[in-house]
Amino acid sequence: MPKYTIEELLQLKPEEVKPVNFDAVEFKALIEKVKQLQALREEEYHNHNHHHGHFNRRRSSHHHGRPKVNKHKPKVIVDEEGWATFEPKNTSAVAEEPEEGETNSNGDKKNRSTESLAQETVKIKPNNKNISSSRPADNKDIIMDKQIHGFNTFAALGNEDDDEDEEDEEEA
Amino acid sequence: MSVEEVAQKLENVSVGEEPKTVLSDATEFEVKHPLNTKWTLWYTKPAVDKSESWSDLLRPVTTFQTVEEFWAIFQNIPEPHELPLKSDYHVFRNDIRPEWEDESNSKGGKWSYQIKAKGTEIDELWLRTLLAVIGETIDEEDSQINGVVLSIRKGGNKFALWTKSSDKEPLAKIGARFKQVLKIEDDGLLEFYPHSSANDRFAQPSIVL
Repeated sequence: MPKYTIEELLQLKPEEVKPVNFDAVEFKALIEKVKQLQALREEEYHNHNHHHGHFNRRRSSHHHGRPKVNKHKPKVIVDEEGWATFEPKNTSAVAEEPEEGETNSNGDKKNRSTESLAQETVKIKPNNKNISSSRPADNKDIIMDKQIHGFNTFAALGNEDDDEDEEDEEEA
Repeated sequence: MSVEEVAQKLENVSVGEEPKTVLSDATEFEVKHPLNTKWTLWYTKPAVDKSESWSDLLRPVTTFQTVEEFWAIFQNIPEPHELPLKSDYHVFRNDIRPEWEDESNSKGGKWSYQIKAKGTEIDELWLRTLLAVIGETIDEEDSQINGVVLSIRKGGNKFALWTKSSDKEPLAKIGARFKQVLKIEDDGLLEFYPHSSANDRFAQPSIVL
């Protein structure tokens, strides 16, 4: 079996380039063409990124802080005397309703509106179902949940009574 | 005819009969140095179109059987640093295809080493590897070597020495010599992967040197 060391083979290297039994020019041309195509693609990719770059990308989650939420600025009302007061949200909503008897029953109506507001706040009391986290913030919340979801006859009766009372008040 | 004339004639005859080697005549040499086997040079062209498949990209370029033919080819083809990314040069024995599926390769594997060297350094290492393989000095005892591959990649060029078996004992000797050829220092690791695990993306090397 003929063997040659690296040094022996290097000694046999001719100084001049000898012809080969295949089309070396065509082979080199093929490689050159591929290199040109790759360079064009690279340039195209670079230009695309340069012009469109980050504007064309989806927003990543780690490059921004909290999302911007437009907080509603409280409305400022300036009266005839020039006093500026903040317009409270709830009072404006309630104040629009009772236009009928503004003369001497304002006090009653205010009481009634606070009662109705209090009832509403009870109904929409947040628990661990309507806030984003599924983990209860407090052990008490778990108990609250159970009370809300379990059907309680006495509670239901109590609600009816409340409704009746309300109706009575309205009738009075 | 005088003695001197005869002597002169004999001298001329003997000079005329002496075959020209590459050492005596760099251009018109006649003697060629045979290699142990025929070798085939393959080239994998990088895909420039999605429709091109592996079989379209891998093509045999030429074959050689002598040292002189090898040098002629080597001097006529682009050097590794001139190749486009995702190109491969393969030099394989006889008609063995540089594919795992080839019968000669199916039970073997490859010694693999990734190197960040570029430019002339990678050219020199590729030449040293080729000379060690075709000169049969990397595998002195048995013809375990099927071929050698150079892959040009962005992350680092990869050398792979393909063997016909996965037997640890002969492979360890070949691996040790391959490390010398590639001038790998002690902290560099040469890894052997059997072709049977080639489809496993997270395959671990069966031998590490």
